[in-house]
Amino acid sequence: MIFWVWVFGIIYAGLLVFASLKSYKKGRTSEEFMMAGSNVGLTLGVLTFAAALFSTFTFLGMPDFFRINGVGAWIFLAVSDGAMVFFLLWFGYHIRMKVKGMEFRGVSGLIGRCYQNKWAGYVFFLSAFLFLIPYVGIQIQGIAIFMDAAFPGSLPTWGWSAGIVLIMLIYSEIGGLKAIIFSDAIQGLLLLAVIWIIGWYCLSHFGGIGPMFDRVGEIQEELLSTPGPQGLLTPQFLLASLIAILMIPVTQPQFTTRIVVMKSMKTMQLMAVSLGAFAILVILPTIFIGMYGVDLYQEAGRDEFFANAFLYDQPNAVAALAIIGLIAAGLSTTNAQIFALGSELRGLLGGSENSIMTRTKIGIFVFSVIAFFFSIIVIDQLVLLARVSFAGTGIMGPMIILGILSNRKVSSAIIYISLLGLVLFLMSLGGWIPSMYFGIRLDLLLFIILGIVALVSHLTGEKPQLIKEESLKH
Amino acid sequence: MKQKKLYWNICCVTALLLCVITFTPLVIPQGVSNPKLGGVPYSLWTSFIIAVLLVVLTFIGTRVHPGMHKEEEEL
Repeated sequence: MIFWVWVFGIIYAGLLVFASLKSYKKGRTSEEFMMAGSNVGLTLGVLTFAAALFSTFTFLGMPDFFRINGVGAWIFLAVSDGAMVFFLLWFGYHIRMKVKGMEFRGVSGLIGRCYQNKWAGYVFFLSAFLFLIPYVGIQIQGIAIFMDAAFPGSLPTWGWSAGIVLIMLIYSEIGGLKAIIFSDAIQGLLLLAVIWIIGWYCLSHFGGIGPMFDRVGEIQEELLSTPGPQGLLTPQFLLASLIAILMIPVTQPQFTTRIVVMKSMKTMQLMAVSLGAFAILVILPTIFIGMYGVDLYQEAGRDEFFANAFLYDQPNAVAALAIIGLIAAGLSTTNAQIFALGSELRGLLGGSENSIMTRTKIGIFVFSVIAFFFSIIVIDQLVLLARVSFAGTGIMGPMIILGILSNRKVSSAIIYISLLGLVLFLMSLGGWIPSMYFGIRLDLLLFIILGIVALVSHLTGEKPQLIKEESLKH
Repeated sequence: MKQKKLYWNICCVTALLLCVITFTPLVIPQGVSNPKLGGVPYSLWTSFIIAVLLVVLTFIGTRVHPGMHKEEEEL
């Protein structure tokens, strides 16, 4: 396997170096560095959005989620993604119309301008920071665990994590967002190819889809329906997850940036459709890998399942491809998230362009270091932590949608109510307050309340004063 | 233009309806895996169809969204 790891590793590293050198331009402006010149075409757009969305979380997390919770996991992610791409079409149009003719400096900067209140930007940045960093951390950890299984004893787990963070920093420093988008394209294709090769192998183990579900039914019938053996996938959990995933293009800055930097409205709409098709294609084989895990590794722990299903049970070349694919998946997503945080920070800073760029780069470095420490201490299921990340940033959704869509002068109250919502959600995660009220999950309750507040704010907002032609004449 | 707006609104309502029925016993009857289709459990094949329909609706949406060509026209 080592031989194949070297072969694929050198090809992948070569492509990365080529992409970063191609993206590097001496004397580039901060707009070129942070926003890739806002000129991304369809193919790159689809692959970069898909690669930022489908990462370690999909590659490792979803098979594990299917293995533990059964077929309802499809609704959790695939149906939610289907709804998300439709929503993307609607939201993408509005945000692109809003930022037209102005320099887009992240959602924080935009939302601060919409409300004419800097606190809107600060509150959004806080939510992005709090919920993206642990998510980045657990992805780095996922790769490190996998590398440790592939090369036992060669480096401590934290050593792999440090190496990944270092590559990520060097890479984004040289090439900026354009290099990240190129690496996303490589990763998107690699992820699709590897997940299907492994998925196909797992399906062949059963001899077909029908025999696969028959076998799983014999082992544990509850895996074939909701809420699954753990009772997790209730209608309420799935609905709250759908809302959280719907909010991804609005509240996760790496995605909002990608919508804005698309070359035109047409490429953005085609990107949304292609992304939906890509989502179905990527999630489908994770069912096969998960069901394979049910048959052979149901009692095994997470790490043991990953190591066996992706490495030890595969032919050497496929196992090596899985390692490189996973590194690529983790690198591009974490890169995108850390870079987006830098971009958000840039939107909140003032001063000369040079000083803003320097402070943004320092910010990216600091975020990477914090993510590295999180990768050492965070222990959770990949998918559930990702969901918390989506829900946490999703709380900001009503505030952002109101700011972008409303043509009225709306009250700033929603900014502070969103902040309160964020604090309550954090307190429930910490176990200081209950996570259910009147039989409803707190995240779902917060989405509903903030949605109503946004609607009321719009309806009671001051309408813009129209100057009549007649009054101008007098 | 008016017709496009109508089609777009129909797409939005259909997408909303698809999402709503996903969370009803019509798609996720608790603890029920039959009737199977080609061996695939009930909730999985029904929700697979819903996911595909949502993507198809997105495609239709790109054709009928009333403001989609505004950006190009204004540039």
